[in-house]
Amino acid sequence: MDSNLAAGLAIGLGAIGPGIGLGLGVSKAMEALGRNPEAAGAIFVPYILGLALTEAIGIYALVIGLLLMFV
Amino acid sequence: MPEEEGESLIHVAIEAETLFTIGPLAFTNSMVGALLASGVLLLGAWYISRHPMLVPGRLQSALELPIEMMSGIISGSTSRWRSYAALILGLFLMILVANWVGLLPGVGTIGITHVDEAGHEAVIPIVRPASADLNFTLGLAIIAFVMFVYWGVRAHGGWGYLKELMGQPLYMAPLMFPINLISEFSRLISLSMRLFGNIFAGEVLIATMLALTTAIVFVLPLAFFVPAVFLGLELLFGLVQALVFALLAMTYISVAIAEGQPGGHETDHGEADAVDAGHPAADAAHA
Repeated sequence: MDSNLAAGLAIGLGAIGPGIGLGLGVSKAMEALGRNPEAAGAIFVPYILGLALTEAIGIYALVIGLLLMFV
Repeated sequence: MPEEEGESLIHVAIEAETLFTIGPLAFTNSMVGALLASGVLLLGAWYISRHPMLVPGRLQSALELPIEMMSGIISGSTSRWRSYAALILGLFLMILVANWVGLLPGVGTIGITHVDEAGHEAVIPIVRPASADLNFTLGLAIIAFVMFVYWGVRAHGGWGYLKELMGQPLYMAPLMFPINLISEFSRLISLSMRLFGNIFAGEVLIATMLALTTAIVFVLPLAFFVPAVFLGLELLFGLVQALVFALLAMTYISVAIAEGQPGGHETDHGEADAVDAGHPAADAAHA
């Protein structure tokens, strides 16, 4: 029961930061794309990498949640 | 007991379940998923190499599309892309197919009924997507890890690589060496955990949505479209995660190569852009 609550809190609170970070990253990328549509190819790879690294924080929260639930 | 009812509705197993054992080796359902993914890849390779056409047909161009896209990106990374292109492409295709195997109908639902010691009845799925098993993703991450450490050692030499880990002012080495070592190993953890977490969470998400909608499907028959939306989302996530894994592995390797070259990383990036602009496949991928 306690660990279920802790797991819910871990993923819920842990998703706030990456959520904001992903939003910032996407908004800047879209801004850059709007200014210079030809740069789509150059933006694409750093964009995906940046999103992946931001998202990793959320994944760490998920791992903690899974540990609390199953281990 | 409401808790047990919930458990029977959504079956979540964080580790792959054993189907049967061969001596000391447990044959798990994620191995079936991995073999299925390999089979699909081998079949695709056999089909495409049977009678390749210069002007590709519809199926051939569909099979060539992801490879063309990835080669465009890989050939733009460093000047030595030929030495690791096969590894990155292999990682990308294997993860892509392994992710998408999990979305086939019947995967995770068709299984063997198993009764454990406590008398609980549970269905063990015959196929589990390979990337929803940490062993698979950790194995791929170890391959990528070995490759980028190999390239780092090759670029700097063994002693030079250790020096790189110690950092620039040598008196800071006792502090910087453990930090750099941990950051090196955290790549391994984050690579494997990212793929596992995303695909496993996707499986759980679809199972949860199915369980929620089966409860009201007799009232609202259209509720079956709700899990379908999430299936579409998982199709996209499977592609993105395969791309992310391959691109991160590529970036780690190309940074290790670029650091070893005279002139550093910055000039190499300029060269890479020049190569990128001149490459027809890269232009096609970016268009």
